[in-house]
Amino acid sequence: MGGYMQTYNPPLTKIDKEETRRYAGLKGAVAFPEQLLDTACAEALLLARPRAVWNIYPYEPATGTIAAPAPLRLAGDRVRGHLTGVGEAAVLAITIGPALEEEVSRLFAAGEYTAGLLLDAAGTAAVEQAADAADAFIADQAARRGLKAKSRFSPGYGDWAITDQPAMVALADGGHISLTVTPSCMLVPRKSVTAVIGLAPAGEKNGRGCAGCPQTDCIARRELSQ
Amino acid sequence: MIFVFDGAMGTMLQQAGLAPGDCPELWNVENPAAVTAIHRRYVETGADIIETNTFGANRIKLSHYGLENRVAELNAAAAKAARAACGPKTKIAGSVGPTGKFIAPLGELSFDDAYEVYYEQISALDAAGVDMVIIETVIDIQEMRAALLAVKAATAKPVVCQLSFGADGRTLTGTDPRTAAIVLEAMGADIIGANCSLGPAQLLPVVAELAAACSLPVSVQPNAGMPELVNGQTVFPMSPAEMGEWTPKLVAAGATYLGGCCGTTPEHIKAIKAALGPEVKPAPRTAAVRTALTSRSQTVYLGAGLPTVLIGERINPTGRKALAAEIREGSFAAVKREALEQVKAGAKVLDVNMGVPGIDQTAAMATAVTELSVLVDVPLAIDTTDAAALEAGLKAFPGRALINSVSAEPERLEQFLPLAKKYGAAVLCLPIAPGGVPATADERVNIAGDIINAALAAGLRPQDLLLDPLVLTVAADARAAQETLATLRAYRRHFGYPAVMGLSNVSYGLPRRDLMNAAFCAMALDAGLDAPILNPYDPAMSDMLSATAALLGHDPQGQRYSTVNAGISAGPAAAPAHAADILAAVKQAVTSGQKEAVAPLVRQALAEGHSPLAITDQGLTAAMNEVGEAFGKGRCFLPQVMLAAETMRAAFLTLKEELPAHRADSLGTVVLATVRGDIHDLGKNIVAALMENNGFRVVDLGKDVPAEEIVAAAKKENADVVGLCALMTTTMPQIDIAVTALKAAGIPARSIVGGAVLTAEYAAQAGADAYAGNGVEAVNIAKRFVGK
Repeated sequence: MGGYMQTYNPPLTKIDKEETRRYAGLKGAVAFPEQLLDTACAEALLLARPRAVWNIYPYEPATGTIAAPAPLRLAGDRVRGHLTGVGEAAVLAITIGPALEEEVSRLFAAGEYTAGLLLDAAGTAAVEQAADAADAFIADQAARRGLKAKSRFSPGYGDWAITDQPAMVALADGGHISLTVTPSCMLVPRKSVTAVIGLAPAGEKNGRGCAGCPQTDCIARRELSQ
Repeated sequence: MIFVFDGAMGTMLQQAGLAPGDCPELWNVENPAAVTAIHRRYVETGADIIETNTFGANRIKLSHYGLENRVAELNAAAAKAARAACGPKTKIAGSVGPTGKFIAPLGELSFDDAYEVYYEQISALDAAGVDMVIIETVIDIQEMRAALLAVKAATAKPVVCQLSFGADGRTLTGTDPRTAAIVLEAMGADIIGANCSLGPAQLLPVVAELAAACSLPVSVQPNAGMPELVNGQTVFPMSPAEMGEWTPKLVAAGATYLGGCCGTTPEHIKAIKAALGPEVKPAPRTAAVRTALTSRSQTVYLGAGLPTVLIGERINPTGRKALAAEIREGSFAAVKREALEQVKAGAKVLDVNMGVPGIDQTAAMATAVTELSVLVDVPLAIDTTDAAALEAGLKAFPGRALINSVSAEPERLEQFLPLAKKYGAAVLCLPIAPGGVPATADERVNIAGDIINAALAAGLRPQDLLLDPLVLTVAADARAAQETLATLRAYRRHFGYPAVMGLSNVSYGLPRRDLMNAAFCAMALDAGLDAPILNPYDPAMSDMLSATAALLGHDPQGQRYSTVNAGISAGPAAAPAHAADILAAVKQAVTSGQKEAVAPLVRQALAEGHSPLAITDQGLTAAMNEVGEAFGKGRCFLPQVMLAAETMRAAFLTLKEELPAHRADSLGTVVLATVRGDIHDLGKNIVAALMENNGFRVVDLGKDVPAEEIVAAAKKENADVVGLCALMTTTMPQIDIAVTALKAAGIPARSIVGGAVLTAEYAAQAGADAYAGNGVEAVNIAKRFVGK
């Protein structure tokens, strides 16, 4: 556990068109030319360079702290609640690189607004797919140790302040994939994500999980029958 | 014969006292008696084959413990510890696990470095006297290929290749059991199997699929169910008895080597052994010998009776200056685009040729294949006459490629056939001999026969061979096409291997080459061509192929043919040109976002005597208003608004083109900026596009713009409206700063603010004149501010 930075450049041979449609704000739209979406997805495949990097650290649920050499107390009740019962946390960073967003800017400048908008949406789908692939790998490795990976949680979700972004990038070794953070806590390249994945014991036979959590007034708390 | 492997080593070592975080392989030298004792228990409970305690004994894994310089020592000690436990018939398999790193381009470890790491460990195991090598728990086919090549180079002993599959039936990097079996059998694996990650129930279909796709023995070593962490210990729930119950089912699915992975104990092995009574016989294997090519994640079969396989020819710089120039400059953007488009157009295999004069073809081939291997999931044909480029391509490709091609020239046979064998590639035999190009079918069959014999002598199998009948130019020789067709028929009669050929030579020097190529292709398909190498974009060809599929019986009752061709009469949506009133037609073109249709309509409107003002007001502006209203009511969506804006832009450009002197009146000037610290500009760009196409003059200051710059621009441009956007909580305060600065400087422009995290309340508190939730709203507010 911990200590070894891991990297994975997930291969993307398809961009999820339905997700692209959703990110473009087209959910529910009828009679929108499908070919424009297809083109955006194909362009995104050509431009995306997915790269992921992560480290796994011990996690202290009582204080909501990732126990890295430079510990990080997560700035959000929701994320700390999400990580209840978690003993380890994977901190990961994913980017698809700058080429796609540069092309989006170029398209807008050239008056190709729709193509730009759709490519931007396809880029979001691409970074999420890359994150899913890295996530699946982390979950697979954890499962081999009897750990279950919780769903990915990112700064900006719920009340988790994006001011944690610089620390998240550092903990994930985001510099290794050329990921940086602006003083206003934005990721560069923009089509990037940082996230924490909690690794918790599968099942609750050990009496951890909800029973082991100090947040006794949590609305999501499960009452164990035994 | 059915053989039993042992069970888990790690689980047993932990029970024997190995502390978490300690190196298991170090026990081979520090506590060999404990390792031997575990082996002995497995031998006593029925294991025919025991695995050395060397799963992580490669340089990369050992470096986590600072033991990277002790690879040979730890592997040798492991073999010794195993030997000490062996019974008279026990075999020792040298266990080889993954490095834990992905191979490029999925990771940062080069293929060659991975190979070296494996070669070092496997050589050590071989020298220490193991009976076989088992590469196991590998999740990436490319890593397995590197390890298998290392085994083949290090030892002549048998090798078991076991991948680890996920719950979706694929390895984590996407390889399915069938594809894995085809790739690994072709590369010379002796036993193919699956282990770890899943329990026997989940591995049962994996075993069946492996067995159906190859003729090799299949091994399976499941976990004792799916693990759970209980009180800090990883616990596997499946009992030995339950494991025993699965054993006959796994044998019936095709396994003849059975053992256990994580969580299994000598008791599990005992149960497996006990379940293999005399009534349990190996399942009959009926795998047909079929010619297959694969990518990392997909298998394509070729041959008589199977659907025609299109091989895309477009990744070839011959005669294509732009493509050649890009490759020469080291850009593979055009190559990647051609790949995606050909696959979209129906290509099932892509031919890759990097024959640009004067470049390092080896490096170009390696790059092209690497890039394509993560972009498309079809097999590749490596098209080169250069042995080094061929090897680079075959190495980089995480599947079973086709070599295009091997002629009967001695140098080619000597260099190419061993590479095909080594990398498990299929070979396209091209009947050209040192004497030149054979004119007749008989001569071609003879030469092809020579190549086939040489290939089989080099260790290739019948399913590795494909035949090219040779296509010559009909304009130069009236019999050229006939001889090719005769060769195809003769190939089928004499050999039966799949036939592949490039078509386009036939029409060289003639007009309407598409027509000639399509006609020739149809004839060749009937004569026995299985996979034409062609231009998949060619409409004549794709029409012909959809027809021949039905005629050759690959499309029962012409169902697909009907689907494809019935749609053609439907045509595109009715063009707006039919609208009675030309201004209404212009408006309709804009509302429906028909960018290409609007320019001729604008010209027509001008020709009919409408003024630019009338066209703008009654056609364009009216349309944008309608679109904006529909957007506000949720009847149309942002990309549709943008399409309308683009169409509007095209209309304006046409007006400008037709009447250069005409200057449309501007509604006013809008200065736009994303505030300091914020680097998002998509939303701001959308607003700019909409403002511009609704008649405003837009000065776009870009993103990350300081307040002083916004103030200066508003003053200089005499702005009517200043639009500010911020997307993050961290940059929202910059809105306040900019609005305050504008007021302090006495700028008369009205301010509109917006962006993901902003609200009307926030805007009011910041002192902005308005808040806009989206671009359409922003335009409406701006119009109100300028009194329109």
